[in-house]
Amino acid sequence: MSLIQVKNLSFSYDKKRPVLADITLDLDGRSTAIVGQNGAGKTTFVKLLKGLLKPDFGEIHIGKTSVKEATVASLARKVGLVFQNPDEQIFKGTVRDEVMFGALNLGQDKETAETRAREALERVGLGHLSETNPQDLSLSEKKRVSIASVVAMDPEIIIFDEPTIAQDHAGKEQIKHLIRGLQEQNKLVMTIIHDMDFVAECFERTLVFNEGKLLMDGLTRDVFSRQDVLHQAHLEPPSVTQLGKKLGFAETFLTVKELVSGLRNGGNR
Amino acid sequence: MNSISLYTERDSIIHHIHPTNKVIYIFASILVPILLPSFAVLLGGALFGLILLLIGKVFKRALPMIGFVFLILLTVIIIQGLFHPTNSVLVFTIGPAAFYQEGLLYGLTITLRVMNIVGAFLILVLTTKPSDLVDSLVRRGLSPRFGYVLNSVFQILPQMMVSMKTIMDAQRSRGLETEGGLRVRIKAFLPLIGPVVLNALTHVKERAMALEVRGFHAEGKKTFLYEEKSYIATKPIQWGIWAVIGLAVIGRLMG
Repeated sequence: MSLIQVKNLSFSYDKKRPVLADITLDLDGRSTAIVGQNGAGKTTFVKLLKGLLKPDFGEIHIGKTSVKEATVASLARKVGLVFQNPDEQIFKGTVRDEVMFGALNLGQDKETAETRAREALERVGLGHLSETNPQDLSLSEKKRVSIASVVAMDPEIIIFDEPTIAQDHAGKEQIKHLIRGLQEQNKLVMTIIHDMDFVAECFERTLVFNEGKLLMDGLTRDVFSRQDVLHQAHLEPPSVTQLGKKLGFAETFLTVKELVSGLRNGGNR
Repeated sequence: MNSISLYTERDSIIHHIHPTNKVIYIFASILVPILLPSFAVLLGGALFGLILLLIGKVFKRALPMIGFVFLILLTVIIIQGLFHPTNSVLVFTIGPAAFYQEGLLYGLTITLRVMNIVGAFLILVLTTKPSDLVDSLVRRGLSPRFGYVLNSVFQILPQMMVSMKTIMDAQRSRGLETEGGLRVRIKAFLPLIGPVVLNALTHVKERAMALEVRGFHAEGKKTFLYEEKSYIATKPIQWGIWAVIGLAVIGRLMG
């Protein structure tokens, strides 16, 4: 089922140089990574999906709602966007109040908002810090607070902007766990990301952007098997994929588990 | 990124005049009309300023600002023309409103005086990069710390404007309504201004540490990263302006 429809989308900031040109795609429930070098148009694309920018040409529909005709605040019920820098949104005195902020804006009653905030904080591993001042947290923890604040709003679609930045191994594992949980709840999870290892492990579908155009849209495994596309988009395959190729395997491995299994079985070399 | 500077890049003689000379010119444009308050001096000064703006190829850019100031000053001319206490010679009437020569001339004098100063300031801000101005002042003895503060203002304010836009996007994404009646805007104020202030405080601390670890307070003479830009006829222009000021002082004493 298509959750987001994008048709002939074009956008430019100065009406001269197009930042996005003629993008057409359907986004279904599969978790989707958006990759590409800096300046490829990824952030602009998600800002358009969220209604923060309006298309010059083309249409975006979230379900039956046209993004052009909706306000950002009204779209917040359907689309959640976690910004890259948590410091650009945090202002409350406690982590719990910060996480409840979005839910309360959507009109949830206090008890529901509180329950959702508690659940969201547990999911990102910060349940024990709910009464702490967010300004006293590390960047990694702040980042997870900002993720929790969007999860607590319970939107159908959640878009992350570089969720793994500043995260140590434990933090990444928490986010990985959260993304899988959201997928199980049938939510569309999307992310802008430069961490290809994370893409390989967590995302079913990958969109490759290059110079404002959609260079490739396919299953993550298919995308990482296309050296030519990755080269054109100035991207590197995940470490495990590279290792598999260096070992002479024809298959594209996305996880260490797959590589180990390939090595044990002899694989297709 | 947006800039708070009004500097307009052009290749003109005025752009190659030393920034401190432009500062002295502002000083002269304030002082000379005070010393010699004649209509001819005021008119000459204002015309000279406009000619410099034309030579600097920034007249078009200056026009809206001059127009705005003139519009405000027009009210001064009208009010003085109508109500100045020495009004006696009637010049014209519009319906019941009678305009008098004394008041109109007084209003015009004030207008020319202000236009003189505005013109001189516009020459400075439109033809001088803020960083060049600060650099030249530091080279002439201004404290590098104060110079850094001045430069920072020009850098930080545009950064804060960009940051403000992102903060607004982030809060709207979390369902915050920012457009609507007064109540909606008041409700949106804290979520928008909170992160700006907290970020600014964090950045101040980080900037201070970043400066400190790079020896900002190191004792001794500092080396400038860049050679000073070469400017045209710096000394003759400076002497020329001081000479005009000196002549005005003499004229005042003798007159």
